Amino acid sequence: MIYRKRGSSVRWENGVLVSVSEAGIVTEEHDLFSCEPEARDALPWPDADVVAVARQIETLAREVAVERLIVSAGIAEHECDGRMWSDETWRVHVALAHRGLRALVDLATFDTSEIAPIADALARCTTSSREAPARLRLAPNVTAALLPSLAGLAPPNVELWQTGGGIDGNGEAILEQRIAAPPYPNVYRPTYRMRPVRVPLNLQLRCAVADIDETRPRAIALLAPIDGLTLHVLVEDAARVYPATVRLVRIDAVAPPAAWYPYGAGSFGAEMML
Amino acid sequence: MTARFAIATRDELWSHGRLLERRLAHGIAVEDERGIVASDARDDALVAACDAAMERLRAHVVEDARVRLVAEATEEGVTSTMTVRLGARSIVTTPEHVAHDLALLREASFDRGEVADARLPLIWLHGSASVLLHEAVGHAAEHGHAPVAWPSWLRVDDEGADLLHGAPPPRLRRATFRDVPLPRMTNLVARQEGAPFAWPEERIEVLLVDGGAYEPLTQTVTVRIAAARHVRADEVTPLAPFTIERTREDVARALRGATGAPLRYPGVICSREGQELVVGSHAPIMLTVFA
Repeated sequence: MIYRKRGSSVRWENGVLVSVSEAGIVTEEHDLFSCEPEARDALPWPDADVVAVARQIETLAREVAVERLIVSAGIAEHECDGRMWSDETWRVHVALAHRGLRALVDLATFDTSEIAPIADALARCTTSSREAPARLRLAPNVTAALLPSLAGLAPPNVELWQTGGGIDGNGEAILEQRIAAPPYPNVYRPTYRMRPVRVPLNLQLRCAVADIDETRPRAIALLAPIDGLTLHVLVEDAARVYPATVRLVRIDAVAPPAAWYPYGAGSFGAEMML
Repeated sequence: MTARFAIATRDELWSHGRLLERRLAHGIAVEDERGIVASDARDDALVAACDAAMERLRAHVVEDARVRLVAEATEEGVTSTMTVRLGARSIVTTPEHVAHDLALLREASFDRGEVADARLPLIWLHGSASVLLHEAVGHAAEHGHAPVAWPSWLRVDDEGADLLHGAPPPRLRRATFRDVPLPRMTNLVARQEGAPFAWPEERIEVLLVDGGAYEPLTQTVTVRIAAARHVRADEVTPLAPFTIERTREDVARALRGATGAPLRYPGVICSREGQELVVGSHAPIMLTVFA
């Protein structure tokens, strides 16, 4: 198999603007994966003002410290065994810090409206952890981060699905398929320098119950990367905001998918009720 | 002012004598006050230097292990690094030291062990204390955190910078042409001057460390011990991997002594901001007691 990629990106990384163009070729023969740069004309830079987005986020989060801020846009052309496709990406990664706590936000859009409420809540947060409420809602950005951890598990009441549509890392159609256990039908290629991996793409969770009790406390952001089925989250409960650790045991309801997030090989966030 | 950075890297992954992956990467980054513009442009001299280094590295592939060979050339010189993994444990070494370090890896590759009581005195052998100090001293200095009350006999520097007293690493380093250069450690050396030391009758001897982390928000240090043994008089028992997670102040209080000259530890690949860099690491035999 031969895979080619060329792309360009612009990225604001903690105050430095980085513009990158590159192209590469991959050959996979039996078990051997080989890759190297390929001399080709560079693609134009993406038409995206990552600096303006970064400045906007810094303004939205002025009540807390912006510990890490990466805003990037990229365009890429791919070719795999005669199949050609292209894509554009937008990514935001921000770590907000306040009094020893860190809220993590990852977005696949330059719509930054999710960030201000999280920054505002973090600024009001108590520093001492509380026991997680027995009944809790998870915001779509939290749910999306959780879904890759559910692959291969079978939580009661829900089904994990790969969402059909689009092209995978080998140029094959991404199939709509319930995800139970490996082998998975499609492959993910985050960069041409990595061997493609067979993982579920564009995950979503389906549940027969979609009614969410809006009165329940809500986990609005991750305070650490997901650790298996354990989530360290920022919980908003009316006027109170506190950190809590949640161990996922049972999912009561899942609303329809709200937005796509760049966790794992892609994940659709949805309001969820535990 | 404009700064130019050029790099070429070859890496290969071998498993039990079989080549599984090989990569060539090269690029040039030009930085000015507007930012960094980078492309995968090729510097033929650097690629040739990598090729020659990789040829030498291949002679050291270990037949019964998983081995990653990395040859990297920049305008500052060529480095050759090998990561050798046996089961769950690994070392980071060079062709010059692979025989010695592989012997250590084999010594530490016991199948199972008892649960460690990490309250026992820990003796950090083979320079492994450098990992603890890399996290507790080096990363704290990178973040500009104020020094804590380190023992008066301890010295920790990186390329001449006094990390123990808060000086940041003097070199800006980056993993690839795509990355933003950051002040990162290059070669941490811990020394003791007149430190107390006595071998405790009952102790845990640390052989290999799997990794570590420094949490800048809480100034907490985490070190994962991959191979250690419990020693009580003449009785030696292998221990299962365990983790130490303490604040920087706790680490400073736990340092009770050291002996001898710094020993090179085979194994620090430091990851920060997604950039993995090899950091030279040296420390004498050290004694800690975490109460």
